Amino acid sequence: MLKYLARRLALTLPTFFALMFVTFIAIRLVPGDPVEVRTGERGIEPERLAQFRHELGLDQPVWKQFLDYVGHLMTGDFGTSVVTNEKVLKEFFALFPATIELSMAAMLLAVSIGIPAGVLAAVKRGSSFDHVVMGASVTGFSMPIFWWGLLLIMLVSERWGLTPVSGRIDLIKYYFEPVTGFMLIDSVLSGQSGAFTSALHHLVLPSIVLGTIPLAIIARMTRSSMLEVLNEDYVRTARAKGLSPFRVIGLHALRNAMIPVVTIIGLQIGTLMAGAVLTETIFSWPGVGKWLIEAIGRRDYPALQGGIMLISSIVILVNLGVDLLYGTINPRIRHGR
Amino acid sequence: MAVEAAAGNVPGTGPPSSLTVFWAAFRENRGAVVGLTIFCVVVLLAIIADLVAPYSPYVQFREAVKLPPVWAAGGQANFPLGTDALGRDMLSRLIYGARISLFIGSSVMLVSLAIGIQLGLAAAFAKGWIDTAIMRTMDLIIAVPSLVLAILIVAVLGPSLANTIIAVTIVYLPRYVRLTRASALGELGKEYVTAAQVAGVGPLRLMFRTVLPNCLAPLIVQSALGVSEAILEAAALGFLGLGAQPPIPEWGSMLADAREFIRSNPWIVSLPGLAILVTVVSINVMGDGLRDALDPKLRRS
Repeated sequence: MLKYLARRLALTLPTFFALMFVTFIAIRLVPGDPVEVRTGERGIEPERLAQFRHELGLDQPVWKQFLDYVGHLMTGDFGTSVVTNEKVLKEFFALFPATIELSMAAMLLAVSIGIPAGVLAAVKRGSSFDHVVMGASVTGFSMPIFWWGLLLIMLVSERWGLTPVSGRIDLIKYYFEPVTGFMLIDSVLSGQSGAFTSALHHLVLPSIVLGTIPLAIIARMTRSSMLEVLNEDYVRTARAKGLSPFRVIGLHALRNAMIPVVTIIGLQIGTLMAGAVLTETIFSWPGVGKWLIEAIGRRDYPALQGGIMLISSIVILVNLGVDLLYGTINPRIRHGR
Repeated sequence: MAVEAAAGNVPGTGPPSSLTVFWAAFRENRGAVVGLTIFCVVVLLAIIADLVAPYSPYVQFREAVKLPPVWAAGGQANFPLGTDALGRDMLSRLIYGARISLFIGSSVMLVSLAIGIQLGLAAAFAKGWIDTAIMRTMDLIIAVPSLVLAILIVAVLGPSLANTIIAVTIVYLPRYVRLTRASALGELGKEYVTAAQVAGVGPLRLMFRTVLPNCLAPLIVQSALGVSEAILEAAALGFLGLGAQPPIPEWGSMLADAREFIRSNPWIVSLPGLAILVTVVSINVMGDGLRDALDPKLRRS
């Protein structure tokens, strides 16, 4: 197991290094001088300009700048926003809990509907229920989620008045300092009555929107994995032994069918992060996705650079974790290669 | 159905041509046939947009701003799907939008397919450091969430239709490279490849004429799905204001313009999204049918 871990880590390191290189180069290629962004268009004296360039390290040779950048990243310095003058790392992790909360709610929704729907569709293969699940799955998989979000706001929030349009909580009624950054937990901790319900109401539509694509993928994956397993000898044996269908499907088949599904769930983090950018923008959800888009609008390239570096690192690490976990669940993978 | 008739009349009297066999298998999946039909209609509309669209997508009818569709109260027959906030005809903009979305989807697919095949074959044939360099680069692209990478590329290049295509092409390139490399590696061990080598076939001919045709089935399926993914991704960029710029009638950027009219004029929001959804669903359903028909091994159910 240790050997496997070492090999997987060794494969990940070059990816990290290349990621640093790409974000470094990309930001150098962006039109416009970072010093000009700071000083504005009026222009300043040459001495001040030189001083600024020196402060930002821009008077160094490019390779030296890159080494500096890598050195800073190693010590956890992801740069400083040119707009707010805050450390990128600090800004990112202040907003990140909002994105995690939304992503977890979306995933919970996707798993709790997708797996039962997939299992039922497989068991009742060819039935009208199966057709509905497969049709809904293709639609969900093809959904432009930014439109889906607007549509839900239009119907559920505007027409029926059931949920709020944007934000994480009703800021007019409730205000408290963030403790964990997770609104559902913080609202309970605040002790204000109604705060938790308000936070929950705000979470409903965004998590439906963000959960739609993972839900479609999980339902489809569960169905096909289940169909494969249902043909296996051990399932036939379990049936022949006279076990109840519930035990055969729930115990013998489902456990084995879940192995690929668990992997798919883990690998959805990239989809979730990409979806979070759109979902957060639509619902004014103050997470890292919306922050990233705003950074582009404000030409805050250090924030963009640091943010992309952080998001990608998290995705790489989670995928690595899923891989390792998968190796533990399924020893065939570990010893196979 | 026109398509059916055309494909059924494959000339030749010997054993059924591969096209006939393919069509017979494809036709089994009724959803796929519906998908193909809808997709053909969208393609046709995009091609003959100049003939069928009632107006130019850019002309503004100042006296007919924010008209509802013809079936709603206050709708006018000369603007069947209503008009947007600047008085532009929605139907015409949607039809021209099909042209833009399909152009993005197909050019992304063609470019990434062409580059992907070459890189994939190079990796499979060259092995060694070339293989490692290509595949590590692809791993890097995959590591960054698709939309985030596209945003980074557009931020560097600047938002425009052309840069959207470049960004989405880079994002989806790894799938084609990996697929080509994997299927080529699978073929390389087979006897016909050895036989060709023994017969003195040069490396380029071996790559493109001997091995590539046998790797095509999964690539064709991926290409179909790749078009729909590219359309979605480009629409998402357009929605974020990072894709095609107004007044280009791109479906995603039409939605971005329409956000403020959710409450007052819902059709300005509903219609472009519906166009995206219908197009993407039809391509995906068609892709499923393609997969089942081309490669029975890949059959999921």
